[in-house]
Amino acid sequence: MIWASFRLQRVQLLTLLGVLVVGGGALVLLRSSMVGAITSARLTECVERGGTACASVDQNAFLDDWSNLFQVARILIIVLPILIGVFVGAPLFAQELEHGTHVLAFTQSVSRTRWMLSKLVVALVPALVVVAVLQYLVWWWLTAAGTLGPRINGAWHPVNFGIDHVSPVAYTLFAFAVGAFVGVVARRTLVAMTAAFGVFVVARFALDGQVNRFVTPERRVAADGLTVDMRDGALSVGRGWLDAAGLEVPWDRAVSVSDACRTTSSAATQGQEEFLACMRESGLENRYSLVLPESSTWIAHLYDAAIFGGFAVLLLAGTVWALRRQS
Amino acid sequence: MTMRRLPHPELPAPGVPVPELPVFAEGVGKRYRRGWALEQTSLTIPGNRIVALVGPNGAGKSTLMGLITGMLRPTVGSIAVFGDQPNGRGMHPAVSYLAQPKPLYKQLTVAETLTFGARTNPTWDQGYASHLVEQAGVPLHAKVGTLSGGQRTRVALALALGKRPRLVLLDEPLADLDPLAREAVLGALMTEARSQGITVVLSSHVLAELEGVCDHLVLLHKGRILLAGDVDRLSTNGTPLGELVLHHMRAAAAQEAAA
Repeated sequence: MIWASFRLQRVQLLTLLGVLVVGGGALVLLRSSMVGAITSARLTECVERGGTACASVDQNAFLDDWSNLFQVARILIIVLPILIGVFVGAPLFAQELEHGTHVLAFTQSVSRTRWMLSKLVVALVPALVVVAVLQYLVWWWLTAAGTLGPRINGAWHPVNFGIDHVSPVAYTLFAFAVGAFVGVVARRTLVAMTAAFGVFVVARFALDGQVNRFVTPERRVAADGLTVDMRDGALSVGRGWLDAAGLEVPWDRAVSVSDACRTTSSAATQGQEEFLACMRESGLENRYSLVLPESSTWIAHLYDAAIFGGFAVLLLAGTVWALRRQS
Repeated sequence: MTMRRLPHPELPAPGVPVPELPVFAEGVGKRYRRGWALEQTSLTIPGNRIVALVGPNGAGKSTLMGLITGMLRPTVGSIAVFGDQPNGRGMHPAVSYLAQPKPLYKQLTVAETLTFGARTNPTWDQGYASHLVEQAGVPLHAKVGTLSGGQRTRVALALALGKRPRLVLLDEPLADLDPLAREAVLGALMTEARSQGITVVLSSHVLAELEGVCDHLVLLHKGRILLAGDVDRLSTNGTPLGELVLHHMRAAAAQEAAA
């Protein structure tokens, strides 16, 4: 049965292998070429966050050369789950049901469960491996680019988040499961492909950033009273003022005091220090932000994977159930 | 594969004695939402027979075959195939079924189709299966999608017979064949059935297709069996089978009209 599954999935498997070899090779070459470019332009310092004197002509030249390639690599990892859902998951069972060949499989001496599982494993495992490998290579490349590349926006940036950690594999599993399930229910390949695309895109947009609420925010106080340092890639999820005792001031009071302080003197002449002094007279000591540190993105990734992976498992269970009822 | 054993009475079978009956159905019926496709039916198919399963379209022929293969679950009653109850987890190793559209993977070659049979059937006889294909003159390395209807039927038949079944169910196997291909397919099938001692059930809505090759008849009409038995017992006074079938069909129609 494994042989049959491999033979029937041949086109998809060879395509995946091609994507892996070409994509993987290109990523390895691009990375080494980029590392060379960074060294020869003496931008090595700018890779690390907080490097000095990095807003140079050299850096702009580097970005002109490379930022489009960074985008292409990121789009590849964002789009790959959709392609796998549409071209691997959706036709897997729908094509057999559409052409009646499932009857051929059902009338041999293998159980339906074995037939389903071997088809699922042969289609799904290589797809997940390709996503994981390419995602790792993109991560490896973008890490070498550091803050010269898209990493400058931090790991919470929606696109950066979507291509990191376990999320791409979970998205792939979900897109595949949607395609397979709709294929069994609708028994039409085209319907399954359309549904895999539509449901995946809607789910991704609807759930984008929703997992951030599972991460406990930290309070970060402005060092100079006014400006909170966010240059380490943290994500701000709230802000306000603290009083002298370090307690949070209610938002509407902070707003009314700050409005009053802005109007006491003409805005043009008022400096930051005057404004802060005015605020402090009313007991509002420091600005603060509620931030999600970059180091806790993994928690959000695990929730992300649990949600998409959980839906995928439900859909695959539904696929197996529907196929067992199939006559 | 776990199967429940059903008791069955020993029937006197003419010809070669069989240890277990190919099909023994007791009060078996299948109901869909639109109504009964097969009403409670008791049926015995003895071994070593070429069975014609005849009836107009919608008489329940495919439903009966589905129940025998285990592809369908009976709504009522029970059915035993060689003493085992089909459980829908896979075909009985001794039973082969060829569905009406003769499904085959079009993208596979003939040789790959036979490999598919070998990989999915523990009792597969590769030599026998390729012999059947070669005998039909079907090129082994041609893609199934490029074959003619007759050739495709021969490949499907080789796939069905290659697992060395004792019971073969063929749902309208001749429906889409030209007369020459029809004769060739029937001829090959009969030769194999007689020489291997296989019970063959052929369904058709045209009795004339099967008259002359079958020695057992099951006549279905609107989900009920009108007539079943060995041909030589059914037409004792030498009435042609065709007339006998027509007579019963007319009687059934008249009964319906009266009711």
